[in-house]
Amino acid sequence: MENVLNILFCLSLLYLATTTRVDAYLKVFVLQGILLFFIVIMPLINRPSVFTLILPVTILLVKAIMIPLYIRKKIIIELEVKRNIESNLQQFNFLLLTVFSMIAVFISSNMLAKYTYIDAIPFAAAFSTIIIGLYIIIFRKKLIVHVIGFLVIENGIFLLGISVASEMPFLIELAALLDIFVVVFLMGIAINKISSTFSVDDITALDELKD
Amino acid sequence: MEKLISVLIYLIFIVSAPLFIGIVNKLKSRLTGRLGPSIFQTYFDLKRLLRKETIYAQSASFVSRIAPVVSFSSILFAGMILPIGFYKPLISFNGDIILFAYLLGLSRFFQILGAMDIGSSFEGMGAAREATFAVFAEPIYFFTLGSLAFIFKFTSMYDIFHSISLNDPSFIIFIIVSAISVFFLMITETSRMPVDDPNTHLELTMIHEVMILDNSGLDLFLYQYSSYLKMLVYATFAADFFNPFNVQNHIIGFLLYIIILLILIGNLVWIETMMGRFRMKNIPRYLLFAASIGILNLLIYTFFNK
Amino acid sequence: MYLILALLGLPLLTGAVFFVFDNLKIKYAFSIIVAAIHLAAACLVFSGSNVPDFEQWLRFDALTKLFLLILSNVYFWVMINSYQYLFFSPVAKPEKSRKIFYNMTNLYLFANTLALISNHLGLYWVALESTTLCVAPLIYYYRDKESLEAMWKYLFLVSVGIAFAFIGILFLTLSMHGTDAFEKGLYFSNLIANSTKFNMIWLKASYIFIFVGLSTKIGIAPMHPGEVDAVSNSPSPIAALISASLGGTALMGVLRMLQITSKTPVYQFSQIMLIVGGMASLIVTVVFMFRLNNYKRMIAYSSVEHLGIVVLGLGIGGIGFIGAMFHLIYNSLTKMALFFMAGNIHRNYKSREIHNVFSLLKDLRWTGILFLLAFLAVVAMPPFGIFFSELMIFQGLLANGQYVLLSAVLFFLLFIFIAMSRNVFKMMYGSTKINEAEINQTNKPFDEKLNITHLSTAVILCVLIAMGLFIPPALYNTVSEIAKSFNF
Repeated sequence: MENVLNILFCLSLLYLATTTRVDAYLKVFVLQGILLFFIVIMPLINRPSVFTLILPVTILLVKAIMIPLYIRKKIIIELEVKRNIESNLQQFNFLLLTVFSMIAVFISSNMLAKYTYIDAIPFAAAFSTIIIGLYIIIFRKKLIVHVIGFLVIENGIFLLGISVASEMPFLIELAALLDIFVVVFLMGIAINKISSTFSVDDITALDELKD
Repeated sequence: MEKLISVLIYLIFIVSAPLFIGIVNKLKSRLTGRLGPSIFQTYFDLKRLLRKETIYAQSASFVSRIAPVVSFSSILFAGMILPIGFYKPLISFNGDIILFAYLLGLSRFFQILGAMDIGSSFEGMGAAREATFAVFAEPIYFFTLGSLAFIFKFTSMYDIFHSISLNDPSFIIFIIVSAISVFFLMITETSRMPVDDPNTHLELTMIHEVMILDNSGLDLFLYQYSSYLKMLVYATFAADFFNPFNVQNHIIGFLLYIIILLILIGNLVWIETMMGRFRMKNIPRYLLFAASIGILNLLIYTFFNK
Repeated sequence: MYLILALLGLPLLTGAVFFVFDNLKIKYAFSIIVAAIHLAAACLVFSGSNVPDFEQWLRFDALTKLFLLILSNVYFWVMINSYQYLFFSPVAKPEKSRKIFYNMTNLYLFANTLALISNHLGLYWVALESTTLCVAPLIYYYRDKESLEAMWKYLFLVSVGIAFAFIGILFLTLSMHGTDAFEKGLYFSNLIANSTKFNMIWLKASYIFIFVGLSTKIGIAPMHPGEVDAVSNSPSPIAALISASLGGTALMGVLRMLQITSKTPVYQFSQIMLIVGGMASLIVTVVFMFRLNNYKRMIAYSSVEHLGIVVLGLGIGGIGFIGAMFHLIYNSLTKMALFFMAGNIHRNYKSREIHNVFSLLKDLRWTGILFLLAFLAVVAMPPFGIFFSELMIFQGLLANGQYVLLSAVLFFLLFIFIAMSRNVFKMMYGSTKINEAEINQTNKPFDEKLNITHLSTAVILCVLIAMGLFIPPALYNTVSEIAKSFNF
């Protein structure tokens, strides 16, 4: 059943590579947050306790509710962000790049799984997520999309943590989530200021500093 | 005896092809608040075409004469490969999934040839578009059905669809995802709404319809009929993903098939009503998206389910 | 226990309480007290006072002691001088920024101390990310276009970099699988003790990710741009904090990784990575030193250069390692001196462009002289400490027989020296090309009074000379203890 969630995660990445709408990016991010919630909660179903539920519920709260709400209210609506993501690369080529990277990641993770302790499908899903997050940051111009790309990378890292069965102490996980939320909060403020001082909200505006 | 039933079923299949489109059109009209034509309107159209005289352009060669016939009959053949309900199809052998693809390819090829043969610029444009999108649509079929073939180690359509079971829960997702892919394929191949608008009146925006502008009478009848048939063939193909589910009974299987087709019609109508047409340059992207779903399935299930 | 309260509790409490009231002078006074208490605590820790480790969460080995002292010292000087820069700001006084200044610096002190003394890799990561969050609003202190862009770039680049470091941490877990160390968790003590049993491929991958990720924050090439922008566009106290203390904190993670790999076959590879990073930083500095026209950026690139040298020294090992440790100490002192003086220049000339600053020695007597001295210190002139630490690193290169590398480093340093001195002497003695009328308007005597920034810079420079000539035995012992823990 966990594989199903990982496959859905991969599908959400493909959709991310296909769509050209800022709104759709945000929706995919919400979907990923919900998927992460299920992935985390799945092994806990047999031994339910309030303590073990804190982490998944926090994930759901932060990744699927608080961050998306913040981005939608404070940035997309307030700044009237145009719905199109500005891209350096044609969408079709972006999708091709995504597909080929995913093929490479899946094949290599399958090879790795033979002699190390990794779960092949979650590992491949996590790594593709990280790579596609990076592509989003590299090839898109809009700052808000960069933020979502960063969040996608963070999701990928979270998934990676699950796939390598790394047991971080509980408090550290919570603190990391809090850190991410504050990062997004600060980035939101920065985008707000940037769009009011530069009157554009994409990366082309940021070229004042160079040597 | 079983052969006889299969033949009978296939005959019903052929005859009911225009009805399928008729239902779609009717529902679409009702959903947009119009009364709409009768669901048998497609039959009347076909009847009218039969009465008309067939006229060829002066520049037309023999290709234009044989193209409609070849196109129609190859689709007729392709339909025989598909399992309908729980019945064994008329043609079934190892490797028929390839034959199925290429019969449909042959049909399209002759349609394109027929369009190019006349030398009209509009039809040439339509042919070029049809060929382009076919390039992107073909991988969808092969990756989706190819992954299925890999998993079950069968290469016959009947065997593949009859080994789908629900024992592994991750399979449900797989089937749904594949069906989405195939649904994309169906929309593209049958020139339905988000990809191509069958009711458009401007030649520049047409893809499929523009290719048969110069045909009339019996030829047009064949083209129309083959497009109805193609629709039902693809719909059946998509429905087959859900169909068997270990139902061993013939009658229940057939009923299930009908129900799934109706659900499919519902989806199709919903999408056609709700979505605007894609811009022409964006279509390859969506087709690639559907193909990449197939690639993902292939990756996950060939590498990991050993 | 009291030491922990002084190191962690007090800054956190102060930072939190400061959100309640507004009086800047009280905040300043309290911040200095906190800084002084922190410095005292750091000195006590340095001299070997016993500190509880909270079930292995905290770690006080020689490395921590040294880095804690560096941080505490930098923070203390910055706090003392901050008032000057806050009140005599070169642009219109940004009220909003001033309100949060001391809150954020106190929180920064808390996060940075936590990162340094943590014994758990995850805790280190979280604390390091928090330092970014505390520093980012302060980079946006002047509230203009440049600082906004610098803040965005720093925040984004460093966040992504740190995310990559986290991937490295996960790979480290992967390399622990199947050994008994896996059950015990990501404690540094556990990792260092059991590293020989790890899976070497994953350990290598982990090292690459952590080094590359953290190098955005250390500020070494090719990940330096965020750091350079941040340092050159923030007010001087913040620039000094980032370049003199934050780089070291991030370097701490790399050092811990080096410590983990030091007994394994991956060690050689990690040394090569460090050397490559160091050389890349030197090359980048040479290239940009000749192109830039902004003296704050010049100092920022000089910081890239010196951290590059530190990383190079770490990569060489042996005597080079000891040199790198001393270099880090001296660099933190020199950077403070340079940034304090650069802040004074900026305040008086209202510009960060080199060609707008001229005849500094005549107009701003004290600042001019001290800036010149700090410049001489940063380009490693003999009586200053940096000269001796660089000499040690060269000695390490010679001992390893890497003559090509040594000559390349010397060559780069020569060109950096030429480029920097060209700029600095233009500022010191140069005359302007602007016409007479404007000269009369802008060239009015600034009538500089001796203030606390000059005094503290002079003290810092004296310390730098003194430490160059005579290394305190306590410091020497700590450094050699660190070297011992790395098996040199």
